[in-house]
Amino acid sequence: MDYKGDIFYIEQVLAGKINAFSYIVDRHKNKAYNLAFRICGNHEEAEEIAQDSFLKAYRSLKGFKMKSSFATWLYRIVYNTAISHVRIKKKGVLSLEDFPADATDFIGSNTSEEEAEKEYRSSLINFALQKINEEERGLISLYYYEEMSTEEISDVTGISKSNIKVKLFRARQKMLEIIEKVEKKKLTYHE
Amino acid sequence: MNNQEKYKEDLLRQYINPERIEKAPEGFTSKVMTRIQIEAVPLKSAGRLRNKSLVPVISTTVTILLIVAAFLIPGSETDSLALPVVKLIKNIKVSLPEIDLTSIFRFNLPALLIYVFIGILILTLFDRALNGLFHREK
Repeated sequence: MDYKGDIFYIEQVLAGKINAFSYIVDRHKNKAYNLAFRICGNHEEAEEIAQDSFLKAYRSLKGFKMKSSFATWLYRIVYNTAISHVRIKKKGVLSLEDFPADATDFIGSNTSEEEAEKEYRSSLINFALQKINEEERGLISLYYYEEMSTEEISDVTGISKSNIKVKLFRARQKMLEIIEKVEKKKLTYHE
Repeated sequence: MNNQEKYKEDLLRQYINPERIEKAPEGFTSKVMTRIQIEAVPLKSAGRLRNKSLVPVISTTVTILLIVAAFLIPGSETDSLALPVVKLIKNIKVSLPEIDLTSIFRFNLPALLIYVFIGILILTLFDRALNGLFHREK
Protein backbone atom coordinates (compact mmCIF):
# COMPACT_ATOMS: atom_id res chain seq x y z
CA MET A 1 0.00 0.00 0.00
CA ASP A 2 1.25 3.49 -0.88
CA TYR A 3 2.23 5.65 2.04
CA LYS A 4 0.01 8.73 1.99
CA GLY A 5 2.31 11.00 3.98
CA ASP A 6 2.77 11.60 7.70
CA ILE A 7 0.17 14.38 7.94
CA PHE A 8 -2.58 12.16 6.49
CA TYR A 9 -2.03 9.45 9.10
CA ILE A 10 -1.57 11.95 11.93
CA GLU A 11 -4.98 13.44 11.13
CA GLN A 12 -6.49 9.94 11.10
CA VAL A 13 -5.00 9.21 14.52
CA LEU A 14 -6.24 12.52 15.90
CA ALA A 15 -9.69 11.67 14.55
CA GLY A 16 -9.65 8.57 16.75
CA LYS A 17 -8.30 5.90 14.35
CA ILE A 18 -5.50 4.58 16.55
CA ASN A 19 -4.47 1.92 14.04
CA ALA A 20 -3.40 4.60 11.55
CA PHE A 21 -0.42 5.16 13.85
CA SER A 22 0.97 1.78 12.79
CA TYR A 23 1.68 3.21 9.30
CA ILE A 24 3.71 5.99 10.90
CA VAL A 25 5.61 3.49 13.08
CA ASP A 26 6.29 1.28 10.08
CA ARG A 27 7.58 4.22 8.08
CA HIS A 28 9.99 5.60 10.69
CA LYS A 29 10.90 2.58 12.84
CA ASN A 30 14.26 1.81 11.22
CA LYS A 31 15.63 5.33 11.44
CA ALA A 32 14.38 5.73 15.01
CA TYR A 33 15.88 2.38 15.98
CA ASN A 34 19.17 3.16 14.25
CA LEU A 35 19.56 6.48 16.07
CA ALA A 36 18.71 4.86 19.40
CA PHE A 37 21.20 2.05 18.73
CA ARG A 38 24.03 4.43 17.80
CA ILE A 39 23.51 6.37 21.02
CA CYS A 40 23.08 3.45 23.45
CA GLY A 41 25.13 0.79 21.61
CA ASN A 42 22.88 -2.10 22.62
CA HIS A 43 20.10 -3.80 20.64
CA GLU A 44 17.76 -4.54 23.57
CA GLU A 45 18.03 -1.02 24.94
CA ALA A 46 17.68 0.48 21.46
CA GLU A 47 14.39 -1.37 21.00
CA GLU A 48 13.15 -0.15 24.37
CA ILE A 49 14.15 3.44 23.57
CA ALA A 50 12.58 3.36 20.10
CA GLN A 51 9.33 1.88 21.48
CA ASP A 52 9.21 4.45 24.29
CA SER A 53 9.81 7.22 21.77
CA PHE A 54 6.89 6.14 19.57
CA LEU A 55 4.69 5.93 22.65
CA LYS A 56 5.72 9.45 23.67
CA ALA A 57 5.12 10.66 20.12
CA TYR A 58 1.63 9.12 20.15
CA ARG A 59 0.80 10.71 23.50
CA SER A 60 1.93 14.16 22.42
CA LEU A 61 0.65 13.96 18.85
CA LYS A 62 -1.91 16.65 19.66
CA GLY A 63 0.96 18.98 20.49
CA PHE A 64 2.71 18.43 17.15
CA LYS A 65 2.38 21.82 15.49
CA MET A 66 3.45 20.68 12.00
CA LYS A 67 5.97 23.54 11.87
CA SER A 68 8.81 21.09 11.40
CA SER A 69 8.56 17.75 9.62
CA PHE A 70 7.20 14.83 11.61
CA ALA A 71 10.55 13.02 11.15
CA THR A 72 12.46 15.91 12.76
CA TRP A 73 9.96 16.00 15.63
CA LEU A 74 10.24 12.24 16.12
CA TYR A 75 14.06 12.36 15.97
CA ARG A 76 13.97 14.98 18.74
CA ILE A 77 11.98 12.58 20.91
CA VAL A 78 14.26 9.61 20.12
CA TYR A 79 17.41 11.69 20.68
CA ASN A 80 16.23 13.02 24.06
CA THR A 81 14.90 9.64 25.21
CA ALA A 82 18.15 7.90 24.26
CA ILE A 83 20.37 10.53 25.89
CA SER A 84 18.46 10.41 29.19
CA HIS A 85 18.33 6.60 29.05
CA VAL A 86 22.11 6.40 28.66
CA ARG A 87 22.68 8.98 31.39
CA ILE A 88 20.60 6.92 33.82
CA LYS A 89 22.27 3.63 32.91
CA LYS A 90 25.80 5.03 32.76
CA LYS A 91 28.08 2.11 31.89
CA GLY A 92 31.76 1.60 32.54
CA VAL A 93 34.25 2.97 30.00
CA LEU A 94 35.39 0.50 27.35
CA SER A 95 39.12 -0.08 27.06
CA LEU A 96 41.03 -0.72 23.85
CA GLU A 97 41.41 -4.31 24.98
CA ASP A 98 37.67 -4.74 24.50
CA PHE A 99 38.13 -4.55 20.76
CA PRO A 100 39.60 -7.66 19.12
CA ALA A 101 42.86 -6.93 17.36
CA ASP A 102 42.39 -9.53 14.68
CA ALA A 103 40.16 -8.43 11.82
CA THR A 104 39.86 -12.04 10.72
CA ASP A 105 37.62 -12.60 13.75
CA PHE A 106 34.90 -11.11 11.61
CA ILE A 107 35.46 -13.31 8.61
CA GLY A 108 32.98 -16.14 8.45
CA SER A 109 33.54 -19.12 6.14
CA ASN A 110 31.06 -17.74 3.56
CA THR A 111 32.18 -14.14 3.77
CA SER A 112 34.37 -12.48 1.17
CA GLU A 113 37.38 -10.47 2.29
CA GLU A 114 35.65 -7.27 1.22
CA GLU A 115 32.56 -8.11 3.28
CA ALA A 116 34.71 -8.97 6.26
CA GLU A 117 36.52 -5.65 5.98
CA LYS A 118 33.16 -3.82 5.92
CA GLU A 119 32.04 -5.77 8.97
CA TYR A 120 35.29 -4.94 10.71
CA ARG A 121 34.96 -1.22 9.95
CA SER A 122 31.36 -1.18 11.12
CA SER A 123 32.31 -2.81 14.43
CA LEU A 124 35.26 -0.48 14.80
CA ILE A 125 33.06 2.58 14.29
CA ASN A 126 30.51 1.25 16.82
CA PHE A 127 33.35 0.70 19.26
CA ALA A 128 34.68 4.24 18.72
CA LEU A 129 31.15 5.61 19.12
CA GLN A 130 30.84 3.95 22.52
CA LYS A 131 34.08 5.62 23.62
CA ILE A 132 32.72 9.14 23.16
CA ASN A 133 29.94 10.69 25.23
CA GLU A 134 26.24 10.15 24.49
CA GLU A 135 25.65 13.66 23.16
CA GLU A 136 28.55 13.38 20.69
CA ARG A 137 27.27 9.93 19.67
CA GLY A 138 23.90 11.44 18.84
CA LEU A 139 25.47 14.23 16.81
CA ILE A 140 27.74 11.87 14.86
CA SER A 141 24.78 9.57 14.10
CA LEU A 142 22.58 12.39 12.89
CA TYR A 143 25.38 13.87 10.78
CA TYR A 144 26.87 10.74 9.23
CA TYR A 145 24.10 8.13 9.31
CA GLU A 146 21.05 10.31 8.86
CA GLU A 147 23.06 12.72 6.71
CA MET A 148 21.45 15.77 8.28
CA SER A 149 22.78 19.29 7.89
CA THR A 150 23.93 21.19 10.99
CA GLU A 151 20.72 23.23 10.73
CA GLU A 152 18.55 20.10 10.83
CA ILE A 153 20.62 18.72 13.71
CA SER A 154 20.07 21.99 15.54
CA ASP A 155 16.28 21.54 15.11
CA VAL A 156 16.47 18.03 16.55
CA THR A 157 18.85 18.65 19.45
CA GLY A 158 18.18 22.27 20.33
CA ILE A 159 21.95 22.97 20.22
CA SER A 160 23.08 26.02 18.25
CA LYS A 161 24.61 25.50 14.80
CA SER A 162 28.02 26.87 15.80
CA ASN A 163 28.08 24.68 18.91
CA ILE A 164 27.19 21.63 16.82
CA LYS A 165 30.17 22.31 14.54
CA VAL A 166 32.51 22.54 17.54
CA LYS A 167 31.08 19.40 19.16
CA LEU A 168 31.24 17.47 15.87
CA PHE A 169 34.85 18.51 15.38
CA ARG A 170 35.78 17.27 18.87
CA ALA A 171 33.82 14.03 18.47
CA ARG A 172 35.44 13.37 15.09
CA GLN A 173 38.88 14.02 16.56
CA LYS A 174 38.27 11.63 19.46
CA MET A 175 36.91 8.90 17.18
CA LEU A 176 39.82 9.15 14.78
CA GLU A 177 42.28 8.89 17.68
CA ILE A 178 40.51 5.74 18.89
CA ILE A 179 40.46 4.25 15.39
CA GLU A 180 44.14 5.05 14.98
CA LYS A 181 45.01 3.33 18.25
CA VAL A 182 43.01 0.23 17.32
CA GLU A 183 44.60 0.09 13.87
CA LYS A 184 48.07 0.36 15.44
CA LYS A 185 47.21 -2.44 17.83
CA LYS A 186 46.05 -4.50 14.86
CA LEU A 187 49.35 -3.89 13.02
CA THR A 188 51.38 -4.86 16.10
CA TYR A 189 49.27 -8.01 16.41
CA HIS A 190 50.05 -9.06 12.83
CA GLU A 191 53.80 -8.37 13.10
CA MET B 1 35.67 24.24 7.21
CA ASN B 2 39.46 24.27 6.82
CA ASN B 3 41.43 21.63 4.96
CA GLN B 4 42.40 19.70 8.05
CA GLU B 5 38.81 19.48 9.25
CA LYS B 6 37.69 18.42 5.78
CA TYR B 7 40.37 15.74 5.75
CA LYS B 8 39.23 14.40 9.13
CA GLU B 9 35.61 14.42 8.06
CA ASP B 10 36.46 12.45 4.92
CA LEU B 11 38.63 10.09 6.89
CA LEU B 12 35.76 9.22 9.22
CA ARG B 13 33.45 8.78 6.23
CA GLN B 14 35.67 5.92 5.11
CA TYR B 15 34.52 4.02 8.17
CA ILE B 16 30.92 5.11 8.26
CA ASN B 17 28.52 3.68 5.75
CA PRO B 18 25.20 5.53 6.01
CA GLU B 19 23.47 2.80 4.03
CA ARG B 20 24.32 0.34 6.74
CA ILE B 21 21.63 1.17 9.24
CA GLU B 22 20.53 -1.00 12.13
CA LYS B 23 17.01 -2.16 11.37
CA ALA B 24 14.24 -2.44 13.93
CA PRO B 25 13.60 -6.09 14.92
CA GLU B 26 10.74 -8.18 13.56
CA GLY B 27 7.37 -7.40 15.09
CA PHE B 28 8.46 -3.95 16.24
CA THR B 29 5.35 -2.18 14.90
CA SER B 30 2.94 -4.64 16.49
CA LYS B 31 4.76 -4.36 19.83
CA VAL B 32 4.45 -0.57 19.72
CA MET B 33 0.77 -0.76 18.78
CA THR B 34 0.07 -3.24 21.60
CA ARG B 35 1.77 -0.91 24.08
CA ILE B 36 -0.24 2.02 22.75
CA GLN B 37 -3.48 0.10 23.17
CA ILE B 38 -2.54 -0.96 26.69
CA GLU B 39 -0.74 2.07 28.09
CA ALA B 40 -1.88 5.12 26.20
CA VAL B 41 -5.22 6.80 26.70
CA PRO B 42 -7.05 7.33 23.39
CA LEU B 43 -6.27 10.86 22.21
CA LYS B 44 -9.94 11.83 21.96
CA SER B 45 -10.55 11.11 25.62
CA ALA B 46 -7.34 12.76 26.73
CA GLY B 47 -9.44 15.71 27.81
CA ARG B 48 -10.71 13.57 30.68
CA LEU B 49 -7.33 13.88 32.27
CA ARG B 50 -8.14 17.52 32.83
CA ASN B 51 -10.85 16.36 35.24
CA LYS B 52 -8.10 15.16 37.53
CA SER B 53 -7.17 18.76 38.26
CA LEU B 54 -10.73 19.18 39.58
CA VAL B 55 -9.80 17.19 42.69
CA PRO B 56 -7.45 19.79 44.22
CA VAL B 57 -9.75 22.62 43.07
CA ILE B 58 -12.82 21.09 44.76
CA SER B 59 -10.82 20.18 47.82
CA THR B 60 -9.36 23.71 48.17
CA THR B 61 -12.76 25.35 47.62
CA VAL B 62 -14.43 23.17 50.28
CA THR B 63 -11.60 23.85 52.76
CA ILE B 64 -11.73 27.62 52.16
CA LEU B 65 -15.54 27.63 52.50
CA LEU B 66 -15.35 25.74 55.78
CA ILE B 67 -12.70 28.09 57.20
CA VAL B 68 -14.66 31.18 56.11
CA ALA B 69 -17.86 29.69 57.53
CA ALA B 70 -16.17 28.99 60.84
CA PHE B 71 -15.12 32.62 61.16
CA LEU B 72 -18.23 34.28 59.76
CA ILE B 73 -20.99 32.25 61.31
CA PRO B 74 -21.22 33.17 64.97
CA GLY B 75 -22.38 30.86 67.73
CA SER B 76 -25.17 33.25 68.68
CA GLU B 77 -27.25 35.07 66.12
CA THR B 78 -25.93 38.60 66.40
CA ASP B 79 -25.59 41.08 63.54
CA SER B 80 -23.05 39.71 61.16
CA LEU B 81 -22.27 39.45 57.47
CA ALA B 82 -23.21 35.80 57.66
CA LEU B 83 -26.66 36.39 59.13
CA PRO B 84 -28.51 35.56 55.91
CA VAL B 85 -26.51 32.36 55.62
CA VAL B 86 -27.29 31.39 59.20
CA LYS B 87 -30.99 32.05 58.64
CA LEU B 88 -30.97 30.01 55.47
CA ILE B 89 -29.29 27.10 57.23
CA LYS B 90 -31.78 27.31 60.09
CA ASN B 91 -34.61 27.26 57.58
CA ILE B 92 -33.34 24.07 56.02
CA LYS B 93 -32.98 22.55 59.48
CA VAL B 94 -29.23 22.03 59.32
CA SER B 95 -27.15 23.06 62.26
CA LEU B 96 -23.48 23.91 62.10
CA PRO B 97 -21.19 23.18 65.03
CA GLU B 98 -20.25 26.16 67.14
CA ILE B 99 -16.54 26.82 67.14
CA ASP B 100 -15.07 28.31 70.22
CA LEU B 101 -11.59 29.54 69.32
CA THR B 102 -10.65 30.33 72.91
CA SER B 103 -10.53 26.61 73.66
CA ILE B 104 -7.55 26.30 71.35
CA PHE B 105 -5.53 28.53 73.63
CA ARG B 106 -6.42 26.44 76.61
CA PHE B 107 -4.04 23.85 75.24
CA ASN B 108 -4.54 20.34 76.48
CA LEU B 109 -2.47 17.89 74.47
CA PRO B 110 -4.16 14.51 75.23
CA ALA B 111 -7.64 15.98 74.65
CA LEU B 112 -6.51 17.69 71.44
CA LEU B 113 -5.01 14.47 70.10
CA ILE B 114 -8.41 12.78 70.07
CA TYR B 115 -9.79 15.57 67.86
CA VAL B 116 -6.70 15.46 65.62
CA PHE B 117 -7.09 11.72 65.23
CA ILE B 118 -10.80 11.98 64.41
CA GLY B 119 -10.02 14.81 61.94
CA ILE B 120 -7.37 12.76 60.17
CA LEU B 121 -9.75 9.81 60.00
CA ILE B 122 -12.53 11.92 58.46
CA LEU B 123 -10.13 13.51 55.93
CA THR B 124 -8.73 10.09 54.97
CA LEU B 125 -12.23 8.73 54.35
CA PHE B 126 -13.09 11.85 52.34
CA ASP B 127 -9.88 11.45 50.30
CA ARG B 128 -10.63 7.77 49.62
CA ALA B 129 -14.14 8.67 48.51
CA LEU B 130 -12.85 11.36 46.11
CA ASN B 131 -10.14 9.02 44.84
CA GLY B 132 -12.71 6.33 44.08
CA LEU B 133 -14.97 8.84 42.39
CA PHE B 134 -12.35 10.21 40.02
CA HIS B 135 -10.61 6.95 39.23
CA ARG B 136 -13.87 5.34 38.18
CA GLU B 137 -13.85 7.67 35.16
CA LYS B 138 -10.88 5.84 33.65
